[in-house]
Amino acid sequence: MTARAAAIDRAPAWTSRMPAGADTRAARLRTRRRVVVCALLTVFATIAGQLVRLALKSGPEIKVNIVEPLARSWSRPDIVDRHGRLLATDVGMYSFYADPAMIPDVDETIEKLSAALPGLDTAELRKALRDRTRRFAWVSRGVTPRVAQKVHALGLPGIGYRVELKRVYPLGPLTGHLLGTVNTDNKGIAGVERLLDEEGRVESVQGPERSASSALRLSLDVGVQHALADELKQACLRYSAAAAAGLALDVDTGEIVGAVSLPEADPSLPAEWLDPARADKLTGGTFELGSIFKALTVAMALEAGTADLDKLYDVRQPLVSGTYVTKDLHPQGRPLTVREIFLHSSNVGAGMLALEAGVHSQRAFLERLGLMRQTRLETGPVAAPQLPKHWGRIETITVAYGHGLAVAPVQFAAALATLVNGGLEVTPTLLARAAKRETAARLISADTSARMREIMRLNVTNVQGTGRHAEAEGYRVGGKTGTAEMPGRGGYREKAVISSFAGAFPMDAPRYAILVSLFEPQTGEAGGDRITAGLNAAPTTARVVERIAPLLGILPRRADIAGP
Amino acid sequence: MPAIRACHASTHDGSDRERPMLHRINWVLMLATLASAFALYVIKYDTRRLEARVQAQERALEKAESDIALLAAERAHLARPERLEPLARLNGLAPITSRQYLRIDAGRAASSATAGAAAPAPESR
Repeated sequence: MTARAAAIDRAPAWTSRMPAGADTRAARLRTRRRVVVCALLTVFATIAGQLVRLALKSGPEIKVNIVEPLARSWSRPDIVDRHGRLLATDVGMYSFYADPAMIPDVDETIEKLSAALPGLDTAELRKALRDRTRRFAWVSRGVTPRVAQKVHALGLPGIGYRVELKRVYPLGPLTGHLLGTVNTDNKGIAGVERLLDEEGRVESVQGPERSASSALRLSLDVGVQHALADELKQACLRYSAAAAAGLALDVDTGEIVGAVSLPEADPSLPAEWLDPARADKLTGGTFELGSIFKALTVAMALEAGTADLDKLYDVRQPLVSGTYVTKDLHPQGRPLTVREIFLHSSNVGAGMLALEAGVHSQRAFLERLGLMRQTRLETGPVAAPQLPKHWGRIETITVAYGHGLAVAPVQFAAALATLVNGGLEVTPTLLARAAKRETAARLISADTSARMREIMRLNVTNVQGTGRHAEAEGYRVGGKTGTAEMPGRGGYREKAVISSFAGAFPMDAPRYAILVSLFEPQTGEAGGDRITAGLNAAPTTARVVERIAPLLGILPRRADIAGP
Repeated sequence: MPAIRACHASTHDGSDRERPMLHRINWVLMLATLASAFALYVIKYDTRRLEARVQAQERALEKAESDIALLAAERAHLARPERLEPLARLNGLAPITSRQYLRIDAGRAASSATAGAAAPAPESR
């Protein structure tokens, strides 16, 4: 720079040969000099400015991604219950891998590893480590910090670890059926976990980066869920039942606050989760639910206008249709009103109601309540209803008392909620909804719904009602019992039944619908071999309601509490 | 020759005033360059130190976050109702029964929220 400036200084040597215009020349030179100086200053200023700019601006982040498809995993948002209690979360766990080319002594390595890692598949690992062409093989994934420390302390050459996210379910199997499960790469394969994947709420990550996404809030209430599970487990012991299922659902919003299917499935053990014997009975199976369907039949008759609650039906003779005879279990020997048909759970009466309304009314009614089509829950499709192949006179009668048509219990519970909530459509959901839906479609009239509430409550308060053992003091339970014989080889098995109670509480203004089903109970409340639902499912419901009503914020009504 | 002299004379006219100024500017610029080079050096090392601190803190943050996640999971595991219920029952607690509700003030309807708060210990968090 200085050299150039000097050159400019010397420049006048030739310009001054023409003295005539010397002054103007000198002036021009000065101008040029200033221009050059200005240019240089500009250059310096630019450099200085650039320095300042670079200093202020943080440079583009340079990320080096080591492409290692094996190490890729998925980071998932937490799942919480309606009160924010944690149901599923990701924690960083240690995963050990081996570089077979770097392992000096395979046998010694495996021996030491299997001492620190119980349950290690040594045969498989030996095969992987003997293959010297490989540079990567998993040893064990999702190891707890304590075990990881032990392995690390072995100081084995060629064994490395990385921290990976692993899905954990702190509550164990409590909400297992609904949560679903994930695979080793933390990808959801069933239940709500799969929903997270489908909705694109999981992120692919290389390391233990936790999801930034907000937690998914379910409609479940852990307290209710536990009370339900606990009472059902006790019921299974008390009545020697093989399995049980229970569901509590908000009749206005369709939010499922508790859903239990026994035997439970632990979501952290995918093998257990995928075991068909542990499949979710509420959504994964369809059952002929028996007499609880009579609630639908009565509602259908009321809705069709072919009957009212006081209309008399002569139920003394069995209903004969071809070779098929429908009888009552406990015939009353006199004509019964519709109210009494419901109370005594008369098969003949239900059949007559359905025949009177006609097969078309019956089908249309079930169709309207959504019991004829497959529905979906957030966990995936609900098992499709099993409809009769031919819907004739016999089927009209059997469907009227809950046979010949098998539905998933969750689907029935939604229909039940519609019966008592004033007749509005209910779509069961596992996600917490902010408020009651304003645009629910009307499926049945408010009047029919009021009458259904009346007879369902009567079934519990009346001494002759089959549901009288379902009374939970102060909580105004109402509902219908049902003891359905399970289909077996060559017909129905008399001693293998599903005994259910389908109801709602508090019945004067229902808030929650409840469905309790016991599979193959061997005894009832009074002992002996009486296995009707009134003696096992109904008292179980009472116990469940007594425990969950306080949790759901339902106040007992003093007038309904007997004694002081 | 006179032309050269004249030239000298003419150059002296203009540059006598300008040369020292240019020199001064050169010096100033050179010093500024040196100073900025030094400042840059200092800033660079400062930045590296800060970066190391940021990284350490980010690591600490990540560690804390994963610890919190682990502790939250552990707390949820310890507070699972399945475990709390037997403990609560051992302490003589039981689910509330409908007879245990008392209306303190007949004029003030107890809200559903109070009923929720009065939930028995086994189900509360």
